Amino acid sequence: MNGAQHILEAFHRHNISTVFGYPGGCIMPLYDALVDDVGVEHVLCRHEQACALAADGFARASGELGVCIATSGPGATNLITGVANAYMDSTPMLVITGQVPSGLIGTDAFQETDILGMTLGIVKHSYLVDDANALPAIMEEAITLAQSGRPGPVWIDIPKDIQLTEIEAPAATTCVQPDSHCPGISEALAILYSAKRPLLYSGGGVSLAHAEESFRAFANASALPGVVTLKGIGNPGKNHPHSLGMLGMHGSRAANKAVDECDLLFVVGARLDDRATGTLNTFAPNARMIHIDADTAELNKLRPADLAMRGDLNRILAAFTEALAAEPLAISSWQRQCKTWLTTGGFQAADNEEALAPIAGPAFIRQLSRIAPDDTVIACDVGQHQMWVAQHYEFDHPRHHLTSGGLGTMGFGLPAAIGAQFANRNNTVINVTGDGSFMMNAQELATIRRYNLPLKLIILDNQCLGMVRQQQELFYNNRESHINLDDNPDFVAMARAFDIPALFIERTDQIRRGIETILAYDGPMLLHVAINREENVWPIVKPGGSNKEMIDETRRTNTNSKEPAA
Amino acid sequence: MSPQADTSMTSYTVNCRMNQEAAALERLCQVVRVRGFKISRMTMESAGAHLDIALTVEGSRSVSMLQSQLEKLHTVAEVAVVQAKGVRAVS
Repeated sequence: MNGAQHILEAFHRHNISTVFGYPGGCIMPLYDALVDDVGVEHVLCRHEQACALAADGFARASGELGVCIATSGPGATNLITGVANAYMDSTPMLVITGQVPSGLIGTDAFQETDILGMTLGIVKHSYLVDDANALPAIMEEAITLAQSGRPGPVWIDIPKDIQLTEIEAPAATTCVQPDSHCPGISEALAILYSAKRPLLYSGGGVSLAHAEESFRAFANASALPGVVTLKGIGNPGKNHPHSLGMLGMHGSRAANKAVDECDLLFVVGARLDDRATGTLNTFAPNARMIHIDADTAELNKLRPADLAMRGDLNRILAAFTEALAAEPLAISSWQRQCKTWLTTGGFQAADNEEALAPIAGPAFIRQLSRIAPDDTVIACDVGQHQMWVAQHYEFDHPRHHLTSGGLGTMGFGLPAAIGAQFANRNNTVINVTGDGSFMMNAQELATIRRYNLPLKLIILDNQCLGMVRQQQELFYNNRESHINLDDNPDFVAMARAFDIPALFIERTDQIRRGIETILAYDGPMLLHVAINREENVWPIVKPGGSNKEMIDETRRTNTNSKEPAA
Repeated sequence: MSPQADTSMTSYTVNCRMNQEAAALERLCQVVRVRGFKISRMTMESAGAHLDIALTVEGSRSVSMLQSQLEKLHTVAEVAVVQAKGVRAVS
């Protein structure tokens, strides 16, 4: 076998059956090997950035490794945003790029870039293969490393001649998983039992550790009031009785109030990101903290923990659950207080009853949440619509909510939805996007058509960069600067040009029928939704400000809040 | 504990043992820079399959944070902070 065939052999050994890529000169040996391979489905996207983002979406939705492939030079550099996105959100990803032949490296050859050097800061690890016989071991190590501990992207840059070299070395043995231990349970329980107002704070680390079930068992056994980060949405399940929703910059007033008042933060799989905490010196000022994470470097990074526990979340949470089932916490008055805050300070959105009224983004998302099946996967882009989804859509599982949390990548949603559809071929997958984000990777409509994916696309079109406009309005004296997009193309005509049917709606009484129509259609369909230009995301904390200082101008009349479950 | 909270600069000596791999030294230096430290002195010796690197770094952030970030590098075998020198104010 040559190097290229060894790459495919490693895919087979690890049950990697779907990869996203784009061919080119220096990766041609691998593409040649793919011709004879029936076990790997290669998905051709229309831009390398979309390959990486689709691999990311595939990984998030499936819990498996995402794989993307590109050629050297511009192919590799186009991957960078998608790989940075995966790095920031700890998505397990394998990136394979072709490189110019070994003898030409360093000569400024055609399509040569030092992609290893360019990407050091956005990978968990990376390799430039300089010995063909090392390739099998590198593949093995990279696949294991990308998925172990705190996952992340691992990049292998492979010169063209290495892909063509016959390799003598046998396939490497599987790497051992990193150690996992469960220290400090007794001490942590003592802290937990002594707290009067303990609060569960969970993030994306729960699903990254495949600890969804352990988390729910713990949440139920502890009955702790809980808040979630953007990436932790769905951790507690739909309508969990003690869930207060998302905290932070666009979190609920109830969640931020509970953080402010708690005397213990029980942090699981979260990294205390600035969008969640606001300014740190006023964050949870009266709380001790137990911090549980797979990554040692996240412990004590931004705020010292009273007890830091590194290890496998499944094992650690199971140990807590066992203890708490035997001796429950006595926190009923704190639970009642949190429910009161949820009633008065949960996310609210106007349900406008006027049939001819323009469509408000939050009201649309609430309707979508009511109508779409429970196992629907929503892939968002970045901006106001992303926050409305986070606030108003009820998710039953964290893998149903795909969002670019760390990097905030406009253009993430459409390719991520493509990846999610390949991971969940029978589920409804919807890309909820904005008019700005949609145009960042609109070429992927061709990928949807090519593979006849039954994806649904919803563009909430306010003819501007809404989140930037909102911050210019609130924090820059309403001086609008380069946010106007009122010369957008006709999105319905654009979809139809890709042979994707599309609808346009603009009035409140069209919402239900529009959603039901695209969901019922047997194939891809786009819904273009004109929404109020001036609608803002509430609440909001000024960037760099304190979560104590939320600005909330949600219309109080005719609003519905998410009611706590009985 | 906020990264911006402390304005004093402290000097540390950090000893690292790394595997000999492509861009090993670049990875190390990049982490030091990104995590808020400045290298004021560096020596390196190649020892078989390893590189032994001694860095003198200055910074106002927690050196334990730098240490834990360096330890995350796949090619780093060992990190030891062996010394903390005097504190000086930033002008």
